[in-house]
Amino acid sequence: MNDPANIEYRIAHLQERLAAEEQGELGLRVENRGSSVTVAGTVSTAHCREELLRTVREELDGLTVHCDIVVAETAAPDHPEELS
Amino acid sequence: MIRVAAVGDIHMGLDSQGVLRPAFETLPDCADLLLLAGDLTRHGTPEEARVVAKEVTDLPVPVIAVLGNHDHHDERPDEVTAILRDAGVRVLEGEGTVVEVDGARLGVAGTKGFGGGFVGRCGSEFGERMMKDFIRYTRRRADSLRASLTDLAEQGCETRVALTHFAPVPDTLAGEPLEIYPFLGSYLLAEAVDAVGADLAVHGHAHAGTEHGMTSGGVPVRNVAQPVIRKAFNVYHLRGREHPEPATAAASADRSG
Repeated sequence: MNDPANIEYRIAHLQERLAAEEQGELGLRVENRGSSVTVAGTVSTAHCREELLRTVREELDGLTVHCDIVVAETAAPDHPEELS
Repeated sequence: MIRVAAVGDIHMGLDSQGVLRPAFETLPDCADLLLLAGDLTRHGTPEEARVVAKEVTDLPVPVIAVLGNHDHHDERPDEVTAILRDAGVRVLEGEGTVVEVDGARLGVAGTKGFGGGFVGRCGSEFGERMMKDFIRYTRRRADSLRASLTDLAEQGCETRVALTHFAPVPDTLAGEPLEIYPFLGSYLLAEAVDAVGADLAVHGHAHAGTEHGMTSGGVPVRNVAQPVIRKAFNVYHLRGREHPEPATAAASADRSG
C-alpha cells in the first residue's frame, strides 16, 4: 500500500482530481518526501482551502500529509514600483 | 507618468463575489488603468465570468484583460469574453487598445499566448500533427502580439505594454519546477515584444514563480499572478521613453546669436 511507486500514483491521481473537480486547481505542489507528502500552494478563497483539504484527506488517506495552503491576499498595495 | 495596476490568476468562483472589490475601489487613487492577466475564472463558465464582471463593473478606471487557460476550460471563451465586455472590460486577443492619460497615449497589446518553452529547451514545429499544431498555435499568438504592438506604435503610442497570460521569459518562472517551463510560456512572445519594443510586459500563469524578469531586449517583465504578488494588484509607474526636448524660441534665438 505504501510502497513508493504506489504513493507516486496516488499523488498523480490527487492532482488529476483537483484539476477536474470543483476547484480546477493546477497550481499546487504535491511532493513525496519519503515518509510524508507535502501539499503547498495558494488558493483564492477559504472555501477553496476547505474543499482542497477535504480532497487531499480522501485521496491520501493513511499517509502522513503536511499541508501549507494559504488563501490569496486581497489588500491593495501600499506603494508602486517605479519603472524607468 | 502612467500608473498601471495589474493582477492575474484571480480564479474567481461562485464563492468569490466581493473579495477583490474593496481593493479595486481604491484604484482611482493609485492607478490610471487595471490590467487583468488571465485566469480570471476557475473553469471558464459563464456563471464564473459573471462573478468577475460584477467585481469590475463601473470601476472608474479602464479595465483591460486577456483570458487564461482556465477561462478556456469550459470551451466557451467567446461567452466569457462577451460577459466581460458587457461589463465594460476591454478583452484583448491578438489586438490592442489605447488609453489616454493626461494627453499621453498608452497602448496595450494583449493575447493569451501559449506554451512551447524557451530557447534551447522548447518544442518545435516537427513530427506529429498535434505537436506542430501546439507550436503553431503559440506562434500565431506571438505574431498577433507583434502585429498589435506595431499597430499601436503606428498610432503614436509612445508608451506600450504587452499583456499576456503565459510567460514571455523564464526569469519570472523561478520557483516553478524546471520540467514544466514549456507549459508555462514561450520565447516567441518575448521575441515579438522585443521586435517592436515596449515599456513593460505583464503576465500571470506561474503561481510559484517570481515577479521580476526582463526580455533579452531589456523590456521589464512582471509576473502579476495573485499568489506571486500577494496583493489584490500591483502598481507600476511608467515614465515613458525620453524624447529630445523641442527647441524653444528663446533657445533658438540664443543659438542663432
